[in-house]
Amino acid sequence: MSSSLGTPLVTLQATLPWRSVLNGARLVAFAALLAFVWSAVQVGLFRGDLVNAGGWALVQQFFAAALRPELSTDFLLLTLEATLVTFAYAIGGLALSLVIGSLGGLLSSEVWWQARRPKARLLSSPWLIARGALVVPRAIHEAIWGLFLVRILGLDPLVAILALGIPFGAITAKVFSEILDETPRDALRALLNSGVPPARAMLYGLLPRALPNLISYSFYRLECAIRSATVLGVIGAGGLGYQILLSLQSLRYQEMWTLMAALLVLSGLTDWLSARIRQALGAPTRLELNAGADCASEAAARARATSGSRTLLGLLAAALVLTPLAFWYVQPDPSRLFAPHTTMLLGDMLRQMFPPDLSPANALTLLNLAAQTLAMSVFAIALAGLFGILLAYPAARPARHTRRAMFTYGIARAFLLFCRAIPAPVWALLILFIIFPGPLPGALAIGVHNLGILGRLIAEAVENADKRPVRALQHAGVPSAQAFLYGGLPMTLPQSLAYIFYRWENCMRETVIIGFVGAGGLGRLLTEQLSSFDYSGVTATLIMLLILTFAVDVLSNTARRAIR
Amino acid sequence: MFRSSKTYWALALFASVVLAACTAPPAARPQASASAFVISAIPDQDPERLNRLYGKLSDYLKAQLGVEVIYKPVTDYGAVVNAFRTGDVDMAWFGGLTGVQARLQVEGAQAIIQRDIDENFHSVFIANTASGIQPFEDISGLTALKGRTFTFGSESSTSGRLMPQFFMSQAGVALSDLKGEPGFSGSHDKTIKLVEAGAYEAGALNEQVWKARVAAGEVDTSKVIVIWRTPAYYDYHWIVRPDVEQKFGAGFIEQVKKAFLSLDAANPAHKEILDLFGAQKFIETKNENYANIETIARQIGKIK
Repeated sequence: MSSSLGTPLVTLQATLPWRSVLNGARLVAFAALLAFVWSAVQVGLFRGDLVNAGGWALVQQFFAAALRPELSTDFLLLTLEATLVTFAYAIGGLALSLVIGSLGGLLSSEVWWQARRPKARLLSSPWLIARGALVVPRAIHEAIWGLFLVRILGLDPLVAILALGIPFGAITAKVFSEILDETPRDALRALLNSGVPPARAMLYGLLPRALPNLISYSFYRLECAIRSATVLGVIGAGGLGYQILLSLQSLRYQEMWTLMAALLVLSGLTDWLSARIRQALGAPTRLELNAGADCASEAAARARATSGSRTLLGLLAAALVLTPLAFWYVQPDPSRLFAPHTTMLLGDMLRQMFPPDLSPANALTLLNLAAQTLAMSVFAIALAGLFGILLAYPAARPARHTRRAMFTYGIARAFLLFCRAIPAPVWALLILFIIFPGPLPGALAIGVHNLGILGRLIAEAVENADKRPVRALQHAGVPSAQAFLYGGLPMTLPQSLAYIFYRWENCMRETVIIGFVGAGGLGRLLTEQLSSFDYSGVTATLIMLLILTFAVDVLSNTARRAIR
Repeated sequence: MFRSSKTYWALALFASVVLAACTAPPAARPQASASAFVISAIPDQDPERLNRLYGKLSDYLKAQLGVEVIYKPVTDYGAVVNAFRTGDVDMAWFGGLTGVQARLQVEGAQAIIQRDIDENFHSVFIANTASGIQPFEDISGLTALKGRTFTFGSESSTSGRLMPQFFMSQAGVALSDLKGEPGFSGSHDKTIKLVEAGAYEAGALNEQVWKARVAAGEVDTSKVIVIWRTPAYYDYHWIVRPDVEQKFGAGFIEQVKKAFLSLDAANPAHKEILDLFGAQKFIETKNENYANIETIARQIGKIK
């Protein structure tokens, strides 16, 4: 599919004047359409035997149970404990990831090395090593980290915290380094030129200006951390995900609804708080941080400076209180990290992992499943993108607070929250009631989960968009549907598409955890290999997953640049 | 957005109070201490049922052995094997396949005890009555599954996957002959429920779980019936790590065996445990009993 896309785009951009970027956008649109059709065929949309009609009875039971959630005191207490465990994992993992991210971000930023050795060529510096060291941990999903760590460290909350902290740390390091590099350097240069040592110059010249963005991003990561902590629960780490899985496996739907309600509250509160804080800090959108577009205008940022510094203080206090509490609550045992037993198990596993099983038969299986996995991610993101855009408009805070508008707004928001709060593997298990195992249920599950995330991101973009074109058209008597089509949609479409391509990378990573519950692709193979303790096979599958993840990263970046 | 920092302070305070106040460090999570004998089991049935069963068993073993006994629940079959390997678990209740996997990874581990039923264990194939699949006597009857939807239990289950798949292949039924891909329900209980509800037309599971659920009136036998009972094979058993004797003293393994062997159906307290296990009594077993399972597992690729 879009593998043919990379090169032409690059040449296009390099050789043609800026105006013709439109052609790039058109090319992306065409490739995307082709990719979608291909993915639909690959996931088996047109094959027979898709819907398992026998499962509708269970789906009905499931939704009927929503009206009668389990409310006994014992179960409510269990739900509360599970919620706190999930929250504590998220906080603990996040804290670790911020430590890794700050260190890694500094070491892999250009500005740090340039400040230290102004004369050295960048490529020859340890900068490259730092960058390289962060690539692999980032590409491996938290759940895989979890499964590996549990085999080395045993059953301990430490596993959940590390499994979250390591990949999150690597992602955070990448974004932190980008933020540092894009922060204006005039103050830093002035300090360096007057002979202040580099470290201190960074501390006083660069850090203060980068801090609001660093903090906003950290808070955005908290939302992700809660979602990931839940997924880690599903693979056995405890907390809400674990309890939901147990209830689902025993088909106790009433319990499930209670647990899902707790997850909705936890997720909803975090999302809300995070959005407010990002606004207060003047760095409102995720992509602005990630893509490194100019941060919210300097003037606006300065206007917010006072409220911003108070916010910072509050956040710092909250972090100082919550982090130790989280660690105390789950009580990880760090001594396990350094136990000789751990080293032995690690050595054992590494010996079994290498050399990877790259026999022709296995390689062929891997290639087939890789195509299937890629198709799952494309199909999922197409689904999520399409419905995400459609739902984002009702889910954007209406300009006029009429009762009807607020009602639609509330419903749309609640629906999106529901979609994203339920972890993708749980969606997969539900979808597996009515659709046969294979790539399709997996793709649908990832699609639904990401629909919730994308819908909200795009809704925020819509809220921040310039409303004047729509209003002008409406005042000129254009019916509101058309006013929206010509005045509203074009204002937000480029950003929406950028989000969609960005989430595509996440969809790719999530295909793995879907496989764990039996829904197709390389993840399914990985589950079978892990349950057979076939570690050399596991390594081969992981290598394939890494290749896919990088390919999708590159494609997504190229496409985003082409439509910008 | 917030007008003053007070809101933040309040939020931070609120969050920490919630976290701190509602729970002392949770008592529900047993901390494995060096002196405790930790047991676990493959999660082949409803988790809630397993908690009850192993709670009772832990109390009994504690009284018999005079050491602290902790039951550690886990979510999937592989996790038990792994916990046994890492030494987080001293003794575990394995199925035939997971037992072999576990022993291959822990040198010197011994299969010691099993239930009376485990030396003659059977799986049953069940079908939803609406599917029209009729019960049959001969293994060749399995061809009736061709073109039907079918679910196994867990990937690593002996009675819910390994042996059923083995007998299917003996009868010439490949997984690709089924309608759609086979499901992996995760547990025997879920297999019954899925077939009963018609989510799958047929499935295979552990005969003992089936009998227990039918006897308890939890299965609607007008909707789901047994269509075939497999020949006998060796299944579930307790495997103990070799290092327990260093931990609890020489002769500890014999003491454990004795504790199980002296469970007596005439004693009401013992009978409760035996009933939960679906057994009349426990008997001794040995590693050699599982050579056959190992061969089949290698054929199917569950052991490399």
